[in-house]
Amino acid sequence: MNATLAAILAVLGLTLVKATPLIYAALGGVLSERAGVVNIALEAVMIAGAFTAVAVSGATGSPLLGALAGILAGALVASVLAFAATRLGVDQIVAGTGLNIATLAAAAYGLVLIYHQPGASREVPAFGRPGETVLIVLAFVAALTLQFVLTRTPWGLRVRACGEDPGAAEAAGIDALRTRFGAVVIGGAIAALGGVYLSLAELDLYSNGMTAGRGFIALAAVIFGRWTPLGATGAALFFGFFAALQYTLQRAGVPTELMQALPYLAALVALAGFAGRVRAPAADGVPYVRE
Amino acid sequence: MNALLRSRGARDALVALVVVFGVGSIAMLLAHVSPLVGFGALFDGALGTPEEVAETLVQAANVLFPALGIAVAFRAGLFNIGAEGQLILGGFAAGWIGAQLPLPAFAAVPLLLVAGALAGGAWGAIPGFLRARFGANEVIATLMLNVIAILLTTYLVNGPLQQGGAGASETAALPRSAYLPDPIALVGDPHLTLAYLGTPIVVGIVLALVLRWALLRTVFGYELRAAGDAPEAAKRAGIDLGRTALVAMALSGAIAGLGGATIVAGSLHRFNTGLSPGYGFIAIAVALVGNLDPLWIVVAAIAFGMLQSGGIAMQAEAGVPREVVSLVTGLVIIALAGRRVVARRRTT
Repeated sequence: MNATLAAILAVLGLTLVKATPLIYAALGGVLSERAGVVNIALEAVMIAGAFTAVAVSGATGSPLLGALAGILAGALVASVLAFAATRLGVDQIVAGTGLNIATLAAAAYGLVLIYHQPGASREVPAFGRPGETVLIVLAFVAALTLQFVLTRTPWGLRVRACGEDPGAAEAAGIDALRTRFGAVVIGGAIAALGGVYLSLAELDLYSNGMTAGRGFIALAAVIFGRWTPLGATGAALFFGFFAALQYTLQRAGVPTELMQALPYLAALVALAGFAGRVRAPAADGVPYVRE
Repeated sequence: MNALLRSRGARDALVALVVVFGVGSIAMLLAHVSPLVGFGALFDGALGTPEEVAETLVQAANVLFPALGIAVAFRAGLFNIGAEGQLILGGFAAGWIGAQLPLPAFAAVPLLLVAGALAGGAWGAIPGFLRARFGANEVIATLMLNVIAILLTTYLVNGPLQQGGAGASETAALPRSAYLPDPIALVGDPHLTLAYLGTPIVVGIVLALVLRWALLRTVFGYELRAAGDAPEAAKRAGIDLGRTALVAMALSGAIAGLGGATIVAGSLHRFNTGLSPGYGFIAIAVALVGNLDPLWIVVAAIAFGMLQSGGIAMQAEAGVPREVVSLVTGLVIIALAGRRVVARRRTT
């Protein structure tokens, strides 16, 4: 009995560990998409956060400074997307795809420049167990806060207005381009915390490909959570639970790859509307150009 | 000259060149390598010997097929980000079927290519169908299907269909009869100067010509472009947007899948999980630099083929990390994301 309980607790604990980076990334995605910008570059934002956090923590010896730098780097990558999407009116999908490729390569290049070795950085001062717990709790605080901000504050209303109908928002006196820009950059800062968590809390180094497509799982969580912060958090927990269960099920003979495919299949099912009606913000992904 | 500079295609190419050489130079300087030395090693590695030219053409073909597929979808106003998954699944189908059937060359090679095209086409048809039937966003669907394709093929070659021996994530080797003529092996043979160019790139160029004709000169191509350029008007003119989306996505996936099959039949001679280092994503850059015009895409594919094949030599000879190639590729995509054709996005 006690062994079963311990096993259950272990899986639940691992669920939180696996879900936390997804929650941060998904929250960033929700904020961005509610303002009308599809952030395909969540993966790039996480990479930038994870790499910069390690580089700065290694250089200064302070993981806290590293985390702040990581957040800034994520916001910077997001601002490239935000600038392209709002000021240049370019396609967000194509720009985001380019950012994913360029950021992954830039981090790999940075590893060689800073640590003179490909593949992974050396170990740097990290948060350890207490910091990890703080970041896990903070993820849920962020989810509740964002839910409140989006539904109960004037800024949240403006963000949602820009995601549904930027033209009407502008007619009501809202600067749609500025609001979208702000939402994407703040979303980038939040999503970058997911990368910081991976490199400075779960581990203490950056290695190539360590985000492992979590940015895309986060996109799936946004859809599965129907574009709400709490819904996306629930979806991230659901996906995290299966990631945690993977170790148990692998021993039972269930192939890892099929388990890993689950979040993506779930998102496809949700997209097709099999899991109830799913509606994206009306102007999600549509560039807004002033008349 | 002025007219050339005014054309959007020439401007896009110029932007791409500025990004490649500008950012590339900065990255090389950061690694304490003179850009002259770095780019010198890159171009020498891409074009220095006949073998290297052949390798460049192989790499060009590897990005040409998915780029042509992407162009078809983009011209129809559909964001096929899933060329990577379609290419991998096409390669898997070709590798698996090719290893099963002992057939003479005249039957084996076409069978492999058709299998690849069918598998890629089916994988592309899924988001096309979801789009047509449920109005599902094809961007997210193709992104998800990319990962599913990688996981599915990895599972199959590690599990039920593993043939490469324990621990090897690959199918069995193809019989020789299923090989496309190998450009590198034929280099020394003076009688086979055409094969020396590389069969995949020749097939790719023929396909580009056919596609260009189909897009510009057939009713099908007209409907496809109309659906992409002005969906509302196309709908009023009686064009079935759902059907067009399904057909365009299936065709787009089939072309990418054909590319996967040519990699298997042309150079890899089996399927393994390392089939593509992201050809389906590099191909987005190729399609954009090529202005979504099949003929210019051929030119862009050869340029990116040079970057791919020269990157290894650049790392070995000049000590510039190869990642600089991916870096400039990604930045080229960002720089050219502003194309009007692409920006006019249909919403559901």
